[in-house]
This record gives sequence, C-alpha cells and structure tokens, in this order.
Amino acid sequence: QAETPFVARRGGAGESWEPAGVAAAPFLPPNAGCWVPSLMPQDILYRGVLRRKLRSGKSGAALDFTKQLGHFFVDHPEDAFGSLGQLLHKNFYLGNAKLRRQARDTTIRMTPLVEEINRLEARHGCPQQHLTSRVRWFSHLCRDWLFEVPLDLLADCVHDELVLQWASLLFDDSSTGGALAWLPPEDAGARTGRLVYPRGPAMNQLYFQDVVLGEVPRARGSPAQFELNGRIRQVAAAQVDGEGFVGVRSDYHCGVWRVRGRTGAAPAPLQVIRTSVPASCLTVSPHLPGELAVCTQSGAVYLWSVETGLQQLRQDPQTMFFRDHSPWRWSDFTAHPRVLSCADRTGLQCLDTRAPGRCHFDFFKVGEEAGCQQGERVVLPLYLGRPHPSQHLVATQFAVYVMDERLPLVPVLKWAHMMQDPPLFAHVVPGGPGRSHKLLLGASHTQELLLLQYTALSLHPSAGGSKSACQLAGPPQKLHSISGCLQHLPQQLPHRHQLLQQRLGAPAAGLTAVLHAQGQRESLLVFQLSEAGDVFYQTLRHEAAQPSTADGEHKDEAAPSASPVVEALPAVALRYRRWLKALFRDQQELPQQAAGRAPPTISQKRLFTRQDLGPPAGPGTGTLHAWARQQLRRAMRERGRVRRWHPAPAPPPPPQPVDPAAWPDALSTRLTAAWAGDWSHWWEERLGLNMAQRQRALRERRRRQKRARGHRSLSASFTSSVTYQSELSELSDGPPGPGPPLSPGHPDALPQVLAEVWGGSPHHPPPSAEPLLSSQTLRSRGIPKERRKTLRDYLAVCADGAPETPPEPPGSQPCSQGGQLCIPSSQSQLSGSQPRRKRPRMGF
Amino acid sequence: MPPCRRVGGHVGAARAAAPVAAAVTAARRGGPFPWAMDGFVGRAAPRPAAQAGSALLPALHLPLLPPHLYRPATSHEYKLNFRKSKEACLSYIQDAMLQKQWKRAAEFLTFYIESLEKDFSTEYVGPSEMIWRIGTEILCHHSHSSMKEFNSFIEQMKTLGVKRYLKVCLEHAFHLLCNGRTDEAYQNLSLAESWRFGEQTTAQDKELKLIQAYRGLLDYYSWSKQKNVLLEYERGGFEDLSVEQEMHSSFRKAAVNLKEIIQIPGVWDLFVKCYVDLLEFYGDHDEARQVLSEYAYNSKFPANPNAHVYLYQFLKRHGEPKKSLISVLKILHDIVPSHELMIDFNIMLQKSKKRKKRRLGLEVIFAALDYAGWKENVKAWSCLARQVKQIIISEKHPDWIKQEWNSRKDWWPTFHFSRYLAKRNWQENESLAYEKAVVAGILLGKDCKYFKYVSHQGCKDQKKRFRTLKKFVNKHSSVYLRISGLSDSSV
Repeated sequence: QAETPFVARRGGAGESWEPAGVAAAPFLPPNAGCWVPSLMPQDILYRGVLRRKLRSGKSGAALDFTKQLGHFFVDHPEDAFGSLGQLLHKNFYLGNAKLRRQARDTTIRMTPLVEEINRLEARHGCPQQHLTSRVRWFSHLCRDWLFEVPLDLLADCVHDELVLQWASLLFDDSSTGGALAWLPPEDAGARTGRLVYPRGPAMNQLYFQDVVLGEVPRARGSPAQFELNGRIRQVAAAQVDGEGFVGVRSDYHCGVWRVRGRTGAAPAPLQVIRTSVPASCLTVSPHLPGELAVCTQSGAVYLWSVETGLQQLRQDPQTMFFRDHSPWRWSDFTAHPRVLSCADRTGLQCLDTRAPGRCHFDFFKVGEEAGCQQGERVVLPLYLGRPHPSQHLVATQFAVYVMDERLPLVPVLKWAHMMQDPPLFAHVVPGGPGRSHKLLLGASHTQELLLLQYTALSLHPSAGGSKSACQLAGPPQKLHSISGCLQHLPQQLPHRHQLLQQRLGAPAAGLTAVLHAQGQRESLLVFQLSEAGDVFYQTLRHEAAQPSTADGEHKDEAAPSASPVVEALPAVALRYRRWLKALFRDQQELPQQAAGRAPPTISQKRLFTRQDLGPPAGPGTGTLHAWARQQLRRAMRERGRVRRWHPAPAPPPPPQPVDPAAWPDALSTRLTAAWAGDWSHWWEERLGLNMAQRQRALRERRRRQKRARGHRSLSASFTSSVTYQSELSELSDGPPGPGPPLSPGHPDALPQVLAEVWGGSPHHPPPSAEPLLSSQTLRSRGIPKERRKTLRDYLAVCADGAPETPPEPPGSQPCSQGGQLCIPSSQSQLSGSQPRRKRPRMGF
Repeated sequence: MPPCRRVGGHVGAARAAAPVAAAVTAARRGGPFPWAMDGFVGRAAPRPAAQAGSALLPALHLPLLPPHLYRPATSHEYKLNFRKSKEACLSYIQDAMLQKQWKRAAEFLTFYIESLEKDFSTEYVGPSEMIWRIGTEILCHHSHSSMKEFNSFIEQMKTLGVKRYLKVCLEHAFHLLCNGRTDEAYQNLSLAESWRFGEQTTAQDKELKLIQAYRGLLDYYSWSKQKNVLLEYERGGFEDLSVEQEMHSSFRKAAVNLKEIIQIPGVWDLFVKCYVDLLEFYGDHDEARQVLSEYAYNSKFPANPNAHVYLYQFLKRHGEPKKSLISVLKILHDIVPSHELMIDFNIMLQKSKKRKKRRLGLEVIFAALDYAGWKENVKAWSCLARQVKQIIISEKHPDWIKQEWNSRKDWWPTFHFSRYLAKRNWQENESLAYEKAVVAGILLGKDCKYFKYVSHQGCKDQKKRFRTLKKFVNKHSSVYLRISGLSDSSV
C-alpha cells in the first residue's frame, strides 16, 4: 500500500509559465481604415440608467425608445414626413412674429408648440407631469396622417432593432469560436507557420501571414489576401494529412481554403456556400480533408464535404433538452470521423452522420448530472482531440467541463472559471507525454484570458501511459489582456489617449496559441485578435523545476509596479512605438481620405430655384408639372439619368382660331403674310420667283437638323463645341457655294441667324413660321415691340401645337441656354434627353 | 475598504465559486478507467429557461451585468455603495489569485470578511461560502501556511455556515487525506457523521452519504492493511487474534457504508471496487457478482464502461465460461466500440468456432479502427490484417468484408490509406505500415496509393515480408474486385 493513495482532483503542481513581458505587444501594424466604435449602452438605454432589477436578472432594461424615434425624425425628416411636410410647408409657421389676418386661417404657429415640448423635456422626471392640451391636440390631430411611414409600423421596426442591439450588447455570440487561427508548418521542427486573421475596415479581408516563431515572433513576407463580401465572424482551421484547411464563416456565407504545408504556397479557395439564415458555427474536421460542420440559426446542422457537398443532419428549431429561446447552434467533430457533436444552449448530443435520424446519444445536458446551477447555458463546446481523442471541453458562463465521449453526461472534470464574461474562445495546446495540456479561455468584451493546465491520461491503447484521472494541474493563470498595455505606454495627449483607450479596449475577437521550442527553452506564444482588427501577442516562458511557492512570493513584490514597456524589451518597445505612430497617422489621414473618397453629392437646392419647382399657376398644367417633378426626383434619388418622359402627355387641343394653316385659301395666306409684314415675300413666292432661295432654305434646314443632333449628344461638355464645329463643317454638305450674298435686312439672312440663336433646338417649326420667331428679325421687319410678343406666342402655338405656353413671369425668366449652364455636368443628360417640346416656352 | 487603485472604472466583480472545493474529490490511483468523478446522478428534470420570452433580458443568464455596461460612477457614489465595493474587493482578490499573488490575495480577503456584516444575498454562492473557498485556495498555495493554520481556518468556516457544514467537513477530510493524514481525516469524518442540526442534517443528505462512504473507504484501507499484516504473519507461521478481530470489525464497518452508497445511482468506481474486493476475500462471490452486474446493468446508473470492465475482470478471475465473457464484452462493445478491451474481444472471437462469432469479431475490429485514437494501433491493425487474410485464404465469407467495407469505403481511403499517411507510417513505424498495407492491398487492390508506396519501399529495402505481401495481393486481386463490387456489375 502506497503512503499517499490520494491525490487532489485539482491543485496539483502544474508547469510554471511566466510571462516574458509586462503586457501584450502588437504583432502587426494597426488595422488601417476607419474603425467605427461600437454601440454604447448609454446610446439606447433610457437616460443611461440601468435598473437595479436588471442586475438580478429579473426584469428588463428600459430602452429609450422615444429618443431613438426622435433621432430618426430629426435625422431623416424626408423619410419620416417627406410628402406631407412639403405639402403643409406653408401652413406651418415657425417664426416668432404674429400672423397676419388672412394667413391665420390657413397657417398655425409652431413656435408655442415647440416651446411647450421643450418645457416638457425640462420637467422630465417630475411626478406631476401633464401633457398640455395643445400638444395633445396636435398629436391627436396629426398622428394618423402626418407620417410617411405609418407610425405603428415604424415604431415596431425601431423597437425590434433596439431590442436586437440591446441583446447583442449584453451577450453577442456571433463571434463564438474566434476569428484567429494558426496553421503549423508541415514538419514540426520548422519555425515558420501561418497566421490566418480578418482585417480591413469591415473585417472582411482574409489574410494568411507567414510568421517566423521566436521569443519575439515576426511576420515574414507580405500576406496572401482575399476580400470577402461579409464581415468575418469565425476562422477555424485544422491540419489533415499535412494540409491545412481553413473554414471562414461570415453571416450568410461560409468558405473553405486549402493551404499546402510548404511555406510560401498560396492558399487556394475551394468552395463557398451561402445560407439564407445566419450561420452560427463552422468547424473543420481534424480527421478527413475537406470536411466541415456547419450550423445555422434555424437549427440546421450540416456536414459539408468539399467533394460531395452538403448533407443535412438535423433540422430542429427547438432546443434539445428543454426550451431555450437562443437560436445559437454549434457542431464539432468527435473521435469517430462519422460522428458529430451538436450543441445548443441546453446541451450536446452526438449524431452519426450515416444515420442521423436514428443514431444519436446525449452527451452533455445542462442539469443535475453535471452539477449545473440554475440558468447555466452552454457557451462554447470544443473537441479536445489533440491531447486526447475522446475528450471534449464544454464551457458555460460559470464553469468549464471536460467530458469524455465514452462516459457521456457525467463530466470528467469541472471547474468554475470565475470569468466575468462567458468564454467565447478556447484553444488547446497539447503537452507531450507526461506533461500537462494547456487550455486557453478567452472572453470577448472583457478581454479576459485564462491559462489552465490539465492532465488527461494518454489513452492510446498501445502507449500504456500512466492511468490517472483527468485533473487540473496548478492554479489557473491570468494572461495579459490587450487593454492592459495601456498603463505601460508613454503618456499621450488626452485625445490620443482616448483614442488609444477606445482602440485597445475593443472586444476580443479571437485567440490562438503556439508552443515553440528552441533547444531547451520552451515558450508559448499567445496571439489575440481584437474587433478593431489588431493582432497582439504575448510570450510565456516555461520555467522548468522551479518551486511554485518561491515564485509566488517573488511575484508579490514585482507585480504592482507599472514600469513603462519601453524599458522592458527593446524589440517590443520598438514595435509599440511603430504601432502607435501608425495608429495616429491613420487616424489623421482618415478625415481627408473620407473627403476624397466620398461620392459626389448634388445639392438639390442649387439645381432649381423655388420658382422652378413651384407649381405653375396655369390651369390644367398642374398634373403634368407634378408628374415631371416626380420623375426628376426619382431620377435624382436613384442617381440615374432622366430618360425620355414617357408616356408623353397627349397635347391638349389647341385654342380655337389660331392656326393659319386652317385657312389655306389665298386671301387668308395673303392676309397672314401682310400681318406679318412679309407680304412682298409672299407675293414673290406666289409668282414662283424664288425657287432657288427655297431650295437653299431646305438645305439649310437639313443642316440644322443634323447640327441639332450633334449638339444634343454633346451639349454639356466643353469638347462639344469642338465637335460641334467639325460636325458642322463636315455636314455642310452639297454645293458649298455660299449663295447670294446676304444683306442685313434681307429675308435671305433669316435661316442663318435662326440657327445661331436656336442652337440645339430639336424642334423644327414649319419653314413658314421659322423665320418669324427671332426678335431681331421681327424688329428688322419693323414690327412694333408691343406686337412682337403676341406674334411670337401666336406663331409658337402654330409651330408645335403646344398650347401650354404659360404667361411669362414678370421678372427675369432665364433664357434656356443660360438656365442650362448652371446645371452641373452630372445633370447634362437631363437637358440632353429632355423632350424638346418645352423649348419654345422657355425660349427667351 | 481595500485600497482601490482603480476607483471609478471596472466595478464588475468576480463571480461565485473560488476554484477550490467541490472538485477536490479524492481519487485513488488505479482502475481501468479513472473517471473518478464521484457523483450522484439524478433524473435531470427539464427546467424552463430562466428568462425565456423576455427579449430584453440577456440571452444568457449572467450572474452580474457585464462590466462594460456600467457607467463609471463618481468616486463619492462609489464609496457609499457597500455592495459595489464588496464586488470590487472580490475582483481584486480574483485578480491577485489568478496572478499567483497569494499574499496580496490574503490581504484583500481580510477586508472582504467585512462583507459578512450584511449578508442578505440570495446569490448562488454567498459571501461566507466565497470566503471559505478563497481562503482554502489561498492557504493551499501560500508559502507561510501550515497545516495547523489550515485546520483552524476550516474550523471557523464550519461554524460560519451550517448550511454547508458537511461539505466543509468533507473537503477538510480530503485535504487531510491528500496530505497523508489518514487518521485525522478518519476522525473528522466520523465526527461529521454524528453531526445533527435539525433540518439541516436532512437537507445535506447527499453529503452525509458521501461522508459515510469515504469513512467506509478508509475502513477498507485499514482492513487491507491489517490483512497484509496477517498474511505476513501467516507466512511467518504465527497468529494474532487481536489483529484479526480488528480486521473483521473494519470489514463490517466498511461493508455497511460502501454497500449503502453503491445503491444510489451514480459513478462509484472506487467504492464498488473496494466492496467487491471485500466480498471476494470473504468468498461471497454471488454477492460480488450481484453487485457488479447491478452496477453495470441497472439503467438508472449512467452508462459507465468501467462497470462492464469490472464485471468482465471479475468473471475472468473466476474462470467463468467464454460465453458469459463474450456477452459482457458484447455490451461493452455496444456502448464503447473504441474500448481497449476490444482487441481481447476480437482475439477471443476469432478463435471461436462459431461463424456468427467470427463475423462479430470482424465487426468489432473494424468498428474500433474507425476511431481516431486507434489510427496508429499496430495491434489492432494486425488483428484486422490477420482476420481479413484468413477470410481471403479460406475463401469463405468474403461478403463479410464487403458488408463492413461498404459503409467505410467512402472515407477509410482518405482517413487511413492516404499517400501522406503511407509516407509517415513508413518512416515512423514500419510494422504498422506493413499491417495497414496488407489491409489496404486487400480492400483497395494493388493500385491503392498506400499499398503501392509501402510495398515499393519495402521491396526497395529488400525486405522479405513485403515481397510476399505483394505476391499475396497480386494473387488475390480478384477478391478486391468482388469486395468493391466491380465484379458484380460484370456478372
């Protein structure tokens, strides 16, 4: 009989791993690009107060719903009240002055109402709080119709979103598993491995970085890089047959990459799957190449093989052992390559993929067998295949359990981890025979990082290892968190300090560790990823054969001193300096970059004056005007081009007795011509004297048509004028003979002048009317000024049959050309493709 | 108040359960499957989710609100809030303990004792329990602590909380046992057993049972010591009646207590083994067998492979017929196909004359090799190679192989017979490579990568057995066609 037949389940002597530095150090330069700080509870909580009850978990938090809704109204007034707001614009008066008598009937003063509301705000929290009648009256009156989106619907959406945000603030399980993975080299002796991590402003770029191990690891070469279309939530990796398989999970996509063992070999993407419901888990098989397990939040579990595709193993929206509302599911591999473990918050089951319906057994249950406490839920399962083929880790928010597949339901080891945040990341580093295995647990928000050591007998049937129970070795140990290095950094300016605090305090997003042996010296390198995309590392040195009590005392004295990191290790200090420099540089560049990169915006206010947009007073034109406006607005919203206004509104019938063509008899035409002061011309024509002139006029018209086409397509750009010229010269075909010399005042000069004035007019008035429209010509004809306009109107109506000539505003109506010039280039299409019909109206 | 260095921020506290206690279950070395997590198993009653329905509550019940949700309070508020400072103190203790600064942790703990003043907490682990757990942990690691201090601390803790009096006693006994103070531990246990405190005694029924069981265990140890002494004497040729009497009384005390605990559903490997040992010594084989089969087959007990192993070993010791051994192992195979006894089982079945049993043998060894832990087990591979070879040579029942192979042919080639593994196995373990090559050659034909690589390497090294292997596979290549179903389609 041995003297001490008893050994403690935990607390035995573990290996001594001492941190080499006083804080975690940056491994890579800071993740460039704007990092948006995460939501704070104050943003959505009612007055920032957390109710007492919430802490005891008995009642919910008070979310500030009204504030959020208010923010929406203020930030997006167009979306909230767009149309009615504009319609009622005139009826709301915001000034302080008294309203005039006639306005009082149609307009209400908003100022007292706003004051009323402000007063309410100020009296917030006062028990004797009465809504004033005016506010109530207004709200009753407006509630049903004022909002663009029905208020109930909008409120539902805002409320749902708030609840979601709050839930993810309390506990966000989307990053379970962590987005940092290590791929060891093919031969164990090599010092180069590969780190896989997400990066980029949206954490949507996947990087494969070669890393040379050492006391201070360093990156070698430039990383292989893939851009994905989604934030990377999880990166899982496993080594099978000397090849690394990397699974990447984003919300709706999962992908798998293969990395050959040799360093320098490019990672090859193999396959991508898309899910309609967010995926919650992706694990890579350590047994068979190209096999993965995928779970979605709808409760489906799939075995995904790169060769054979997806196999659904289970589809059950309900949880397994008792009802829990969390849609989170997890799946991992077990000692048998065809058996998968499936987890939800209530426990784990093992499924045989060959007959998933029939063959399954309960593996872990939140309940009495495992000695769980009330409210305990599974947070992270992990297959501990490398240290022991049949052991699993199950982490809850209170404890970690080591389970053995061969003895389901009863934990082999249990330990209350005391972490403030549930552990979402875990990594196991197997120790060799006779040594302890290292287990790292990491939490997200608090960045806690714990190192546990445990021994499990190597149950290799042939190995014949010593048979002892699974036990914890040594007390658990806390490792440096990323934010812990803040106190060791040199003093910063306040705004930089704040930036640094925010950056370093970002929740953790992943963790991995590598055991590195160099001769006799062993070190454990722990890499951490933050949600801001920064990768930090720390080194733990193995101190063999040192009594644990002695170093305990040693630590007592050394610990509280916060020595600047600069003095600790020159290499680390240099890294810090570079990292800080790069971070601040990035931050400074950011606003400029943002300004340069922003898409050009067009202010709508500048495009049209109010008068332009105001509805014309003319009867019958209102609908067309509104419709056109709508078209314009839509085009601008969609940033598309204004297309042909289609269907073109049918032109209303012309006013009755205006068409001279309706009176084709000789007398009428003669009278018309006489009225226009062109009687002699008419007479010459009648006698057939000016055939040659007419031919020329015809040719001139064709030329003008062509020119107009050219102008249309290039109307806005500067180069258009050049093209215009060349086109013009090219198109002036036929006999280039200049014809009879033109004398001012002679009717022959007319077409030429018209062409200049009318530039790009696509409309072609009848030849007879054409010459009559220029004011110059009219003047030259001696038509009195007061009659010119009447004539023009009259003729324009005859010309295009468009009756909608509005009365000219008394003020300065910009001429069509001038009006176009102030449209920015991006709007050029608008004028280019606009129907020409309106031209005459805007003519001068 | 503890000296708060970080006043303002980080008010989140350590949570329940210092790491000591509860898990310090003493376990004796040995046993085929040292789970050694003794524990009761009750029916897990489905409990409704604690906060199902209300979406505003955390998806997970967290003991305290995550610290990042707190707003930093002003220092004035902070000082006034006793509860908060309690939590802060606890977090400092935790911090110190996790960094192995036991001295600092002990200092903080002395401040924390104040929290007992207003202990109205309804939390899972209250302050008094916290103090007990943290204190034990610190005393276990502190360099200046002694056994005497530890004992006095525990005595105080016992008076501090009657609600867990027996738990503290049990842990104390464990601590003494781990330090080799068996007698003190025994005294403690018997004292605890006689503790009566009204309703509290019945409330701690489970702990009481465990205390009795461990006392029984210690009785068993003294019995086995006395037994050894007596055996020495017998060898010397003289008798000692007093020792014998003492031994018998130890037996009686141990047997009563051990028998009681193993009737409650749970994992009691240690107690069952001791009890069976006692019974066997006094020749009560029927009772022993009864106990073991109850432990193995009672459905209220969790499926424990060790129970079957004990039964098997017991039967084997007593020369039971092969049939009953096989039936025990058959059940073990059903529960844990990857158990190491499966090799013995396979050998036993291979020797059998019955066709059905040999068929089962093939099934057993195939199933064992499915598991990742058996991948490099030379013994298992040689068992499989031998049986497969036998079947091929005798040309009887190649359909057995076919049936087993059917469910595995889509993944065994990549799992066991990849080129990478061929290379590695050849480098690391030649005989493993040989056995696997035999199986690969038969199952996958002579064009299989694994077989090709290994036989090529073997022939290159002028090794005889690889040449005969090559010949053998070439000769029986028709079998491969039949197994893989290639010939079926042609017929």
